Amino acid sequence: MNRFPHIDRRELLRAGAAFAGWCALPAGALASPILGDDRHSLLILQLEGGNDGLDTVIPYGDDAYHAARPTLARAREDVLALDDYRGLHPELTRLRDEYEAGRLAIVEGVGYPDPIRSHFRSMDVWHAADRRGRQLPEGWVGRLCAARFADRTDPELVVHVGNEVPYSLHSATHPPTSFVRSRSYRWAGDSREVRAYEEAAPAPQAERSTEAAGDGTDPLDLVRRALADGQASSDAIRRATAAYETPVAYPAGPFGEALREVAGIANGDVGSRIFSVTLSGFDTHTDEDQRRRSLLRVLDEGLGAFLEDQRRTAVGRELVVMAFSEFGRRLVENGARGTDHGTAAPMLVAGAAVQGGLYGEHPSLTELEDQELRFTVDFRSVYATLVADWFGADAKRVLGAEYPRLPLV
Amino acid sequence: MIAVLCLTLPLLAGAASPGEPGAWTAREAEHLLNRAGFGARPAEIAYAVRRGREAFVQELLDGYPEDVESFFFDPPTPPKEQYTDGMSEERKREIRVQFKRDDRDELGHFASWWIGQMLDGPYPLRERMTLFWHGYFTSSYREVKLGGAMIRQNELFRAHALGSFRELLDEVIRDPAMVLYLDNDKNRKGNPNENLARELMELFTLGEGHYTEEDVKEAARALTGFTARYDSGVTFRPGRHDNGRKVVLGVSGRLDGDDLLDILLDQEQCPRWLAGRLLRYFEGREPSAQRLDAYASLLREADYEVRPFLEHLFSDPEFYSDEIVGRRIASPLDYLIGSSRRLGVQPPPRLVWLAAGQLGERLFDPPNVKGWEGGPAWITTSSMLQRGNLAGMLLGVVRLEDVVRPEPPVEDADPDGEMSMTAAEADTDPARMKKKDLGADMFDMRRMLSEFYWPGIHLTARLQRADVRGDAAIVDFLCDELLAVEVSDAGRAALAEFLVAERADLGLDDDELLGAGPEAEHVLRRLAHVILSLPEAQLL
Repeated sequence: MNRFPHIDRRELLRAGAAFAGWCALPAGALASPILGDDRHSLLILQLEGGNDGLDTVIPYGDDAYHAARPTLARAREDVLALDDYRGLHPELTRLRDEYEAGRLAIVEGVGYPDPIRSHFRSMDVWHAADRRGRQLPEGWVGRLCAARFADRTDPELVVHVGNEVPYSLHSATHPPTSFVRSRSYRWAGDSREVRAYEEAAPAPQAERSTEAAGDGTDPLDLVRRALADGQASSDAIRRATAAYETPVAYPAGPFGEALREVAGIANGDVGSRIFSVTLSGFDTHTDEDQRRRSLLRVLDEGLGAFLEDQRRTAVGRELVVMAFSEFGRRLVENGARGTDHGTAAPMLVAGAAVQGGLYGEHPSLTELEDQELRFTVDFRSVYATLVADWFGADAKRVLGAEYPRLPLV
Repeated sequence: MIAVLCLTLPLLAGAASPGEPGAWTAREAEHLLNRAGFGARPAEIAYAVRRGREAFVQELLDGYPEDVESFFFDPPTPPKEQYTDGMSEERKREIRVQFKRDDRDELGHFASWWIGQMLDGPYPLRERMTLFWHGYFTSSYREVKLGGAMIRQNELFRAHALGSFRELLDEVIRDPAMVLYLDNDKNRKGNPNENLARELMELFTLGEGHYTEEDVKEAARALTGFTARYDSGVTFRPGRHDNGRKVVLGVSGRLDGDDLLDILLDQEQCPRWLAGRLLRYFEGREPSAQRLDAYASLLREADYEVRPFLEHLFSDPEFYSDEIVGRRIASPLDYLIGSSRRLGVQPPPRLVWLAAGQLGERLFDPPNVKGWEGGPAWITTSSMLQRGNLAGMLLGVVRLEDVVRPEPPVEDADPDGEMSMTAAEADTDPARMKKKDLGADMFDMRRMLSEFYWPGIHLTARLQRADVRGDAAIVDFLCDELLAVEVSDAGRAALAEFLVAERADLGLDDDELLGAGPEAEHVLRRLAHVILSLPEAQLL
């Protein structure tokens, strides 16, 4: 429970700084009253384009796999074997280490009934946690925030690092802070312009509401609030990422950089609890092996570094990563050494707090539905687990129905 | 039409209240130009006032379509027509990739052409209505994946922009982009697809709660066989049509798509739905029940002609009331194009397209089937900051590199917590920021800004022409010229303080600033940047 429901971020920082200076408290004594009882947080990793599940957790011990993929199938010596049936893609060495150490859960055969093959609409189903997709007014994370963080009014609660904010974060009451690079999350002006701007655009008088903005809201007040939130979170977020120091080397490139931003904010007492990052390029209709090798190397290096980094800190040990894709790919490869849009695929859940291992059931490669893999776990079971067991919120309220939970955390 | 006159006369009777018939204020004229066009230049406001409201509304409705240079669409040859016997799969794939690239580029050119019309075209109301229909009958390139079909659909909206909704609807269910977007090409006898039928009722004619699931199923059957290929022109395949009896909204018969539209347009709810959408769009708020009734009747009596609806709205005193003027949140295009017009700068249309996309309004890529939500949905924490940054770029006082600059080392943060610019930051080498660092759109925007744009305005001269002197007067003048909403006294005082401090640096007295040459211009542009970043700048 939040004991300081309406604290202004700047005031808190100012008060904190003054107080710390006066009393000379040890570092950490003022740690984040905003965070409440626990610091559980979540990074949602979106693998965009349809990640080939059969080339992530590879059923190398299944004859049907080799028969369906004459040019793409990987032999036992080429995979990172987990047991006699399955192995990880050869590039996923860091994730294999996480699995061996019991910090990576692999949920096999994840999907949903009557699967949609359109990237866009299937992604909507995952984002809304509902067949109706965007016909629902909020995404599942928005609904989670309304259920779990009703008392949080600061803009930094949900942070998306990237261009397009996923619909899962869509919320009337807890809109995300979003930016591509924290370094550009700013209003660019010199110090005198900034002063004029802040004095001429005062923060709104009214308390920030946790209710959805209705028709009665003064539009000028709405804009003032968003600008004030932007200015406030811009400072806090840039300060956190600029101040973040870690011995862990993140790989170069947008994905590694985005994960480093998340690490900086998560460990920077900003109060963020839900993070979102997207890695795209998984739509491998052609020359899949070559493309997936480089893509999974990016995933493994970035995520591996991130997980290693999080293990170092108390905050990081309470951060869980959940990776998903809108669908897997077809069992049978196409004529262009690639695969087309398919159905079920594994989800990954990782972190120091995660009970590693295999969950669900690998989909059968012979008992198919419309020639495709039949899902064995509804993705909302994973959501329900995180909503209820990780965030302590009412999963039925958030997801609209009961789903069996898995002992992941 | 008698019924229309009876209805409209009492409403119109109040319109001429301020003085003689047709007289109106600059504020009212500016409001009309903001909402019906894309923002007003000072000279346009003066002209509209001189002309009188009645005459000016007619000019706005008529536009100058003969002066619009049409877009020349150069369709790339479809891949199948390029294939030859024995061609390798590899070569065919190359042809498909090249087609896709050319087709997408053509759509990009068209987006630039369209934004050019918004920025400076001779028929702004038609472009405004085309934009309205683009959000009303959404289709997305992301789904349709054929730029040519998206262009064709947009030309359809333009042709019917102020015309008959009945005719437009009739065309829309046969429009290739719409058919593809809502899967009606897969809607066939015995295997119906409900997507188009559902949106037709939910989004295009009635709204949720005015039909049943059974109506949707039956309507889908009526729409079987309505297909469209933008290259062949085929719009109906009789073999796929379900010829059986259907019952939609209580009407039964061997209904087809045209019968279905008649049934929908005959519903009492249909004109209410469209009137509500139009009123919300132009007024920026939910209409009262009484107002909705009056405008729904108007639409019904005019048999869904849109022009009389708009003519009536633009002559309605309530449209110019304090509850409406300056209280709509500007869309990214409203903001970028309106700011450009008020400033007098001429950005490359492509820059505006990309920038609006960064702010959430990317033409031909609406977020979902409902189109752009508009209003408060435009507001996010980063979009508010970025709007100000983009205004700064249009003014030439912010470089893209100033926004996308690396963080300073930690020890450079001020003790009071504010980040200040350091010499190291200011030295950011733009050449080092590569496409992969900036992202494709930002990279393209930087190219537009550095190679195809310079502000081309002279604020000092503008102030001198208007004989404006002194800090307070300069602030008043620029706020008035650049914003649709008044800035509070305290806000103006803060802006004047900025000028006082800048003058002190330059050693100038209160009325000496405008004589200070390039330094004065730079101060004024920075002031304009602050003004366009204010909350007031986000409303119109």
